[in-house]
Amino acid sequence: MSDFLWLVIALPLAGALFLHFFGRYLREPLAGVFATLAIGAAFVVAVVAAVPFFAGTGEAEHLVIWEWMPAVGATFELQWDPLSALMTLVVTGVGTLIHLFAIGYMHGDERFHRFFTYLNLFAASMLTLVLAGNYAMLFIGWELVGLCSYLLIGFWFTRPSAAAAAKKAFVVNRIGDLGFLIGLMVMFATFGTLSFEGVLGRAATELTVGTATAIGLLFLVGAAGKSAQVPLYVWLPDAMEGPTPVSALIHAATMVTAGVYVVARSSPIYVESPIASGTVAVIGAITALWAASIAIGQRDIKKVLAYSTVSQLGYMFMGVGATAYVAGVFHLMTHAFFKALLFLGAGSVIHAMSDEQDMYKMGGLAKRMPITATTMGIATLAIAGIPPLAGFWSKDEILGALFERGGIYSALWVVGLIGALMTAFYMTRQWVLVFAGRPRWDEGVEPHESPAVMTLPLMALAVLSVVAGFVNTPFRFTLEHFLEPAFHGVEMQHAPEGWGMFLVLAGLSTLAGVAGVAAGWLAYNRPPEVWRRFQEGFGRLWTAWEQAYRIDDLYGAVVVAPGRRLAEFSAFQFDQKVVDGAVNGVGALVYRLGSALRMLQTGYVRNYGAGFAAGLLVVAIWLVVRGMS
Amino acid sequence: MTLAQATMIDPPVVSWLGIAPELVLGVGAALVLLIEVQWKPSRTAIAWAGGAAVIAAALLSVLLHARIESGDGISTFLPFAGMIALDGFGVFARYVLLAVAGLGLLAAQRMVQEAGTRAAEMVALMLLATAGFSLMAISANLILTFLGLEIGSISLYVLAGYVRERGNSDEAAIKYFLLGSFASAVFVYGVALVFAGTGNFSIQGVHDYLDGVVVFEPGVILLGLALLVVGLTFKVTAAPFHSWAPDVYQGAPAGVVGFMAAIAKIGGFAGLVRILVSAFPDLAGDWAPVVAAIAAVSMVVGSVLAIVQDDIRRLLAYSGVAHAGFILTGVLSGGEGTAEIWFYLAIYAVQLVAAFAVVAAVSGPSGSRSALSDYAGLAQRQPFLAATFAVILLGMGGIPLTAGFVAKFGVFSDAWAAGHEWVVIVGVLASVVAFFLYLRVIVTMYMDEPAGEAAAAPLGVRWVTSVAVVVTLLFGVFPGPLLDLAGRALPL
Repeated sequence: MSDFLWLVIALPLAGALFLHFFGRYLREPLAGVFATLAIGAAFVVAVVAAVPFFAGTGEAEHLVIWEWMPAVGATFELQWDPLSALMTLVVTGVGTLIHLFAIGYMHGDERFHRFFTYLNLFAASMLTLVLAGNYAMLFIGWELVGLCSYLLIGFWFTRPSAAAAAKKAFVVNRIGDLGFLIGLMVMFATFGTLSFEGVLGRAATELTVGTATAIGLLFLVGAAGKSAQVPLYVWLPDAMEGPTPVSALIHAATMVTAGVYVVARSSPIYVESPIASGTVAVIGAITALWAASIAIGQRDIKKVLAYSTVSQLGYMFMGVGATAYVAGVFHLMTHAFFKALLFLGAGSVIHAMSDEQDMYKMGGLAKRMPITATTMGIATLAIAGIPPLAGFWSKDEILGALFERGGIYSALWVVGLIGALMTAFYMTRQWVLVFAGRPRWDEGVEPHESPAVMTLPLMALAVLSVVAGFVNTPFRFTLEHFLEPAFHGVEMQHAPEGWGMFLVLAGLSTLAGVAGVAAGWLAYNRPPEVWRRFQEGFGRLWTAWEQAYRIDDLYGAVVVAPGRRLAEFSAFQFDQKVVDGAVNGVGALVYRLGSALRMLQTGYVRNYGAGFAAGLLVVAIWLVVRGMS
Repeated sequence: MTLAQATMIDPPVVSWLGIAPELVLGVGAALVLLIEVQWKPSRTAIAWAGGAAVIAAALLSVLLHARIESGDGISTFLPFAGMIALDGFGVFARYVLLAVAGLGLLAAQRMVQEAGTRAAEMVALMLLATAGFSLMAISANLILTFLGLEIGSISLYVLAGYVRERGNSDEAAIKYFLLGSFASAVFVYGVALVFAGTGNFSIQGVHDYLDGVVVFEPGVILLGLALLVVGLTFKVTAAPFHSWAPDVYQGAPAGVVGFMAAIAKIGGFAGLVRILVSAFPDLAGDWAPVVAAIAAVSMVVGSVLAIVQDDIRRLLAYSGVAHAGFILTGVLSGGEGTAEIWFYLAIYAVQLVAAFAVVAAVSGPSGSRSALSDYAGLAQRQPFLAATFAVILLGMGGIPLTAGFVAKFGVFSDAWAAGHEWVVIVGVLASVVAFFLYLRVIVTMYMDEPAGEAAAAPLGVRWVTSVAVVVTLLFGVFPGPLLDLAGRALPL
């Protein structure tokens, strides 16, 4: 029994509370060390609790921590099964490494302790999300991570761009949350409960295809908002205004995968509706290709990674959309490792380059920063899908499942292959632009390798990026067996079996990866004039990629400007005249009614007595008349 | 002699434990007066003596509770010739009454200090009032219910006029006395009519009679029932029988208003619920519409009139009218809602005592003027008092995660399940309106510029408000234990 599981949430929450009240009394590294210990302890607790699952003897547990009004089912309960265990281990494990990294990265910041307060608060919220035992609690965690994301993107709120980015993330997420919330209402109306047991256990027998489709699509709206899918992805690139550890933790490894988690968690609902599942997969495919193409044209080191994250999340959506839940979750895990590593590496570079983020002004950093260069190189190969690194296995399992599913999913498989090629290309481009070639640094920039507190997490994540893929290979389905209890009874899509098919499919995607890496290397490992000319050769296509298809301008013209006019109309015309009028009218009515009734309150006992007698008469006459009839 | 025989034999069965809490309170009141005459001790000592009596009564209630729950059959017979019911209902009523008495004594600390030689009177009257309403709650006989009601009420009339030097205190006392006597007369007339109709004073007897006999002309009984209901709804300040409450709450000394208001409500509801649920369940079809109407009128009138008040005491009085309406919705479901009613009463009574303790701290314990403007900027002058008051007001308003929410939800869902949907809808709308008035006080405290200086809150008041905050938040987040306890507070 894992009765102590609440500690996983309580530890970072306690850390956040402690730092909130006493953080300002701690000297600089102490607040960070404290926060790191809090989440590290949560990781240890999670490992201990997950031991039965590793041993293969664990069963899904449902822990009721306390019941607040059981009558309405508002219960604080935790779900402890392999899926939530895996998510918890990723959140706390990667989270600990990122906390550690941030001690070095945030060195010298005025609001050092405040940063770790938010980071711990985020960890507690994210753990609430993944450990929730019912959808109501999941939604609370869902909203809380959104809040923390807002706070952390806008951490450097004195920069107008950071404040704007935070606001944008918040607003776009609200759209998604609205869909999610409506989905929850439909769910409650259908099942009369929001608990996982009550909903997911009965989905197969009681859910009609229509309702399953409605809930699935509404959840997809929420998931697309949180996991930055087309068309709601626009907030994530801007979110890079936040400090880099935030980008690594929230906008790469954990929070943005919440959408994937919700789809995987709701698998009994999605398998009932081919339309909802198919839409998830198609949205994922569009996002994967769309964001990958934008990533090619970026010159900001973090923007490349941001679009890459959007694209990789698209792969996960393709996986879970094709009902290959294990594959989607597998990619979620490996991606958490190598993308966190890429972000932290980028942070290390930015730190070394005195806050320079333009890759065109980098180059030749491999000599100055060997550890960062090596670890980022490993992560680049991992995400490019070069065997036997982690990204190869997980991406290949998604692609294999798409291929095996056939039909329209075959088209998605092709999209996935093209996307893999593009991924390998833009990631290699990034590595070469940053680390290879001759320095193109600005005057006075003297890069240096980061301190051990920053490189240690890089090395740890690099090891994970190499080996994490081996937990689920076509030769050994360890993860598949591990996750089995969480997807018990759910019809799931797998990659094709047999050596022949594996070799063909793996060969094709390896070919795509290698081709991408080679193209990137050949195109960019040259003097700047040459690769600049190479880029110009694409003409307006390159400009489109560079400007991210100017989607922000489009949204600005189509959504934001009319929205602002509508808001202005609502605020200054409709609200002030109609709504305020109505509210004031009701208020005035109540007030007048009160004043009129107040006249009865004369203070004379005889009047009170008369009122009393009148009331008595009414009651008595009513009852007596009733008795006579 | 077995217990079964005990119920049949004529000489009354005596259970001293069954009335021990009331005995201790009554004897305590007498002792406090005697001690004062004999030794002239300090006023603090007198207050402590009163507190000791309350604590002793509470401990005896726990003992009695354990006996009842032990299942040794003590609750199967009615001691003192069927006058007293030994049941969870009476025990829980005592817990709430004694908690209110204890907190009331704490809140009245400053008043006791200023009362001079008359401190003992005040403490004794508070103990007597508690004993009276407690008798009302444990009574199994309409005559004893009336006696308890009168013991309690008369003590309160005197308390209302306690500050003799001040005209409007006298006015409050006289008003309360005149109208209260009127209500008592109505009640006792109702008892007489019920006796005329059923030949019984005993609650069980009335129930058995109505259960076993087909009454062709129930006019007399129904008229009696109407008078009983009106007499008791007067005590709980339900509209339209509430008109005395704002004047009395405003005129009576602030130090004891909270106690007065809370204890009368508990006693009144204990009597009302016991009579309606235990004696007249067979006539529920007749009384439920009446109670529903009174509840709806109370909720609307209380909420609406509270909004236009400029005096915090009148505001709390009207909000009390609305709360009486909310609690009455729980009565609608017959016996089903008893646990929720008790939960609501327990929470609200504590909040009410604490709210008036704040009033006493801000406007002085014996003063009568408590303008809302006195509270402007209280958050800056008295941060602790303002913060605790704000939590208490939010709890009264029924914000989720406060006990007030759980309480309202409980009575409303009972009424809904019992088929009185329209009352619930009125209730929800009224709570929205009522919430505005609590918010108004909080806004005044936190947003407005400070007006004048406020005297530092006495320690007793701080304790009372702290307890109320803990109760409000603790049972808002973990309502389970109190709901369980209240769930066992059922009449025989």
